[in-house]
Amino acid sequence: MIVADLPERELARRLAGPGLRLRTGPVVNRIQSRLTGIAEGVALQYADHTVEEPEGFADFHVRLASPRSLRRWMSPQVHFLFDGARPFLPLPADQAFAMLEWGLNWCVSAHCHQFLVVHAASVERSGLAVLLPGNPGAGKSTLCAGLVNRGWRLLSDELSLLDLATGGVVPLPRPVSLKNESIDAIRRFSPGTVLGPPVHDTVKGSVAHMKPPTDSVRRAMETARPRWIVMPRYEGGAAAHLAPLSKARAFMHLADHAFNYDVHGRRGFELLAQVVTGSACFEFEYGALEDAIAVFDDLARNA
Amino acid sequence: MSLSSAPHWRSVSVDAIAWREWNGEFVVRNERSGSTHLLGPLAGDVLRALLDAGQGLSVADIAACLDDGPKAASDSTLLAAIEEVLSEFKRLGLAEPEAQ
Repeated sequence: MIVADLPERELARRLAGPGLRLRTGPVVNRIQSRLTGIAEGVALQYADHTVEEPEGFADFHVRLASPRSLRRWMSPQVHFLFDGARPFLPLPADQAFAMLEWGLNWCVSAHCHQFLVVHAASVERSGLAVLLPGNPGAGKSTLCAGLVNRGWRLLSDELSLLDLATGGVVPLPRPVSLKNESIDAIRRFSPGTVLGPPVHDTVKGSVAHMKPPTDSVRRAMETARPRWIVMPRYEGGAAAHLAPLSKARAFMHLADHAFNYDVHGRRGFELLAQVVTGSACFEFEYGALEDAIAVFDDLARNA
Repeated sequence: MSLSSAPHWRSVSVDAIAWREWNGEFVVRNERSGSTHLLGPLAGDVLRALLDAGQGLSVADIAACLDDGPKAASDSTLLAAIEEVLSEFKRLGLAEPEAQ
């Protein structure tokens, strides 16, 4: 069963009651919330995701709730609870769905040590994956959204999971988080894409989520072999340009962007060395999505 | 050959180091510190010379390992660069001078 199969009232009932057991790639999240913003966001963004049995195992137990104080009437807020604890400060209530997304990211990056978790977007074509590590603002989510709207499969927008045994990328297809100018850029680039309502004045500015493509969600169990490591950088007006990046420097970038590289010790080192050895590595500057996608399509054609 | 009074340098044990080389650049993980470092060609070759030797080497010994030419051990520019690399290795815990 997928989320879209659940009648609206049943989805709301599960969220408000025992919890919705939502599978996202290799993990199951038990989500509880009475907030309409959560029900609406889950219904829109996770429509294609599998719903696990109500009594089944869940990796993460999260809840989004309004604090029970007078403030809820004047300046409503939302808390993210993980196993009943509050790892973060509350946010304005209109940011509830964004907080769920950030919270689920945190669940994975802080706990999924069965993988090497890299702060990187990743997309796939013909079984080969591009890893796009980048600092906030580098344009990786925009590039990722552009690529998946032109036929690349979404593996992950934010957290790329590397299998410790094989070095393969384990998909975690979830909504793509677009910020500020990227929201309209993707609207213009792909008018048919499904975007949630933007929320403004978050710590990241304005944020809107793009629904992951149905095909990417359905193929969430298909891993991909890393073939390219590309450090993107958006620069308005710049021509799309790939510049070779040495493997040693690419290694250091990946290590710097990995949440749990240190947790894995030598195993993490060997895994990154394996991934880098098998990948062509580049720095990539771009100013227009169409040009950027053409460069990536060329990479795939010549693989 | 090196003067016996010159300090001899020894790397941490081979077991404590994981490293890879791609086109003359190296990444090195030091198991003792848990840190990973990016090394340029000279630093990588110095580390490799120390690891291969398995014993203490003077700066002149290292220079001779890097370049088989007879003049390497007296090339002051090379020797100074190796000294600099060794100082950095000491700071990073990758190598240290042996007690005299």
